Amino acid sequence: MTVTPRRYANAVVLSVAGRLDQDTCDDFRVELMKHVEQTARDGGAIVLDLEGLEYVSSAGLRCFMLASRQAKTQHGRIVVASLQSMVAEIFEISHFNLVFQVFPAVREALAATSADALAAFEKK
Amino acid sequence: MQRFQAGFFDFYQRIFPLPRTTAPVIIVGIEENSLRELGQWPWPRTRMADLIRAIDAGKPLAIGLDVFFPEPDRFSPANVAAQLPVIASETVRFLATLPTNDAIFAEAISTAGAPVVLGISGEEDEDVRFANSPSSQPVRFIGTQDFPIKAYKGYIGSLATLSAAAKRHGLMNSGSPSAVVRRTPLIAKVGEGYFGSLGMETLRAGMDVPLTVRDGGGGLLEIDFGDARAVAQGDGSAWIRFGHHDDARFVTAYEAMVGKVTPDTFKDKVVLVGITGLGILDYKTTPLAEFLPGVEVHAQIVENIVNGVTLSRPRIMPRVEALTLITLGFLFIVFVPRARGAQYGLALVVGGVGTAFAAGLVLFQFFGLLYDPMLPSLGAGFVFGVVLVGSLATSERQRRQLREQAARLAGELDAARRIQMGLLPDPRETFAGERRADVAALLEPARTVGGDFYDCFMIGERQLFFVVADVSGKGLPAALFMASVKSQLKSAALRGGEVGAMLTRAQDEIEHENPEQLFVTAFAGLLDLQTGVLQYANAGHEPPYARRPSGAPERLPHPGGPPLCVVDDFAFPTSTYTLVPGEWLCVVTDGATEAMNPQREFFGVERLGTALGWIPEGAPPEELIRRLRDDVRKFADGAEAPDDLTLLALKWNGN
Repeated sequence: MTVTPRRYANAVVLSVAGRLDQDTCDDFRVELMKHVEQTARDGGAIVLDLEGLEYVSSAGLRCFMLASRQAKTQHGRIVVASLQSMVAEIFEISHFNLVFQVFPAVREALAATSADALAAFEKK
Repeated sequence: MQRFQAGFFDFYQRIFPLPRTTAPVIIVGIEENSLRELGQWPWPRTRMADLIRAIDAGKPLAIGLDVFFPEPDRFSPANVAAQLPVIASETVRFLATLPTNDAIFAEAISTAGAPVVLGISGEEDEDVRFANSPSSQPVRFIGTQDFPIKAYKGYIGSLATLSAAAKRHGLMNSGSPSAVVRRTPLIAKVGEGYFGSLGMETLRAGMDVPLTVRDGGGGLLEIDFGDARAVAQGDGSAWIRFGHHDDARFVTAYEAMVGKVTPDTFKDKVVLVGITGLGILDYKTTPLAEFLPGVEVHAQIVENIVNGVTLSRPRIMPRVEALTLITLGFLFIVFVPRARGAQYGLALVVGGVGTAFAAGLVLFQFFGLLYDPMLPSLGAGFVFGVVLVGSLATSERQRRQLREQAARLAGELDAARRIQMGLLPDPRETFAGERRADVAALLEPARTVGGDFYDCFMIGERQLFFVVADVSGKGLPAALFMASVKSQLKSAALRGGEVGAMLTRAQDEIEHENPEQLFVTAFAGLLDLQTGVLQYANAGHEPPYARRPSGAPERLPHPGGPPLCVVDDFAFPTSTYTLVPGEWLCVVTDGATEAMNPQREFFGVERLGTALGWIPEGAPPEELIRRLRDDVRKFADGAEAPDDLTLLALKWNGN
């Protein structure tokens, strides 16, 4: 699993690729938490770009849940975008749209969270 | 220990024997051939006088005699007369008027162009024959009052006539006769005067310079005369840097006497006269493991001095060696147990000891200092051994502890597994005698204890409750959590109401007992056995397949909610589905859909549907489950199951 951050104004897009499961959960959370505080302070959000995410196990879902709870305590906001069909189905069955707001693409996700971020995204 | 150390210094000498680069000394050896030609030893002093004159004719720098003459010559004319009582008395009187041989020898000494140095041997006890101190050359001392310079009470030297003629004396002592010669007195006190070793005194007599002994620092004495310099230990003795025996140092007394030596052999040389005849002399063993005539030891001392070669062991050396021991020991104690492999530890030891040995060789060869790496290395080696044994014992103990721990843990996990499996009901017993429905279930645990479970029981006469659930996570926490969730679900179910409300109620209870923030997916159903109406609620679980007689398997629509304990206070909705008689339902966990083959492909929902479609019409739930389990196994093709596999099948037979 790899996590690649990109910054757009007050938002950070984290591209998650590979498989998220028990073994990779801790790395993912460490990387995520690096950006939560910053974006919360700037009034932005973190967009998890899951286009490259092949598979989420139940341990991976729990990892998402823990990340969401931890972000909430720091008043951070996390949304997800670009889910592949398999991950989308897992999200659908487990109703994780109740945990994260789900967007079809990164652009929509940024549009919904911060105008500055969208402007920065459009410019690039 | 001293002997051991000395042996090690011998080793240095053997590795770097001193090459003979200059020839300041010629030894005139009174050896086998000279004795054969000129008669047995001791020679009459007249012959000695001839020898002195013959050598002196070659214009040497000085002559040193590594021989002493304590008794009067019995071949002197008067003495010969005394031994022959039959000869005429005037002959006796005549003979008595002739000069003694000793007088002739003394004259040869005093009239020689080169100074002649006589040997004396320092003795621990006074010798009555030599009560007066021999005459010495002047020695000046600077700052040496605290040095324990060796003092001999007495000595054995030569007749007063000879001593008076020579005026100069040198020490013949060159160590004890039996031991290996390593150190020899370079300067010592005899009676009231100070004397250098014979070779050194002969050299100095030739140079005709005063000799100064001063504090050389480090507990060493520095001896200077002219431009020559030597270093001695505090007691006046010096370590000798030895070279190999060399015949080129020698001429025989016979050759010298009959003028057979090459011209200029003696010119400006220090000539030492010594006995080398095998029968009569003291042979010495050198550190090079060679026998050398004692006189050659003196010759080598002179060569050391002339070439400026010194060898000494400053007072600080034992402390340096102790420091080496401490350093090596510290290195071994600190780093050997931390070394990642035995080979690194060994490399450290070899490196440390090797460095000490190399330092010893460098100090010997280039600085003339005697440093002993052997004792510190042996000490540190001992430390290394102790550390090694200690760390072996420690690692053995740790291994044993780990083994015990692993065994204990495995035992506990096994126990947890057994308890977990024991919590699951056997549908055949639970529903024995129930004709309206058949239920079968299976839970195949993965290698690590997991968090799947199922449950099924009757609520009253009509309602059959069943649930299949999967706790996120593995191991003991998941297993314990599973037990808690199962009992909460059962108590929530027994309190009645809609299935969704049961899940909501259970979630409220479980949330209080969830420190690990685990969550649970669950599919719960409540089947009315009279009507076939199924109420169900889904908490983030894989929706089950239903299959009507002569129909294809279809997934139940999945409204519902997230897994239990994901969204607080979520109210789970209840859905309804009506079964027809003979219709069955199959609930699985992700142990089925996410079973993986060696190509890392998932079994998946579609394959699950297809597999269920192939199951023969009318197969009872038990067969259905067995077939499905076999299909999943065949797909996994030997790959280890990552998760528990739970299957539950229920068939409604109609009322």
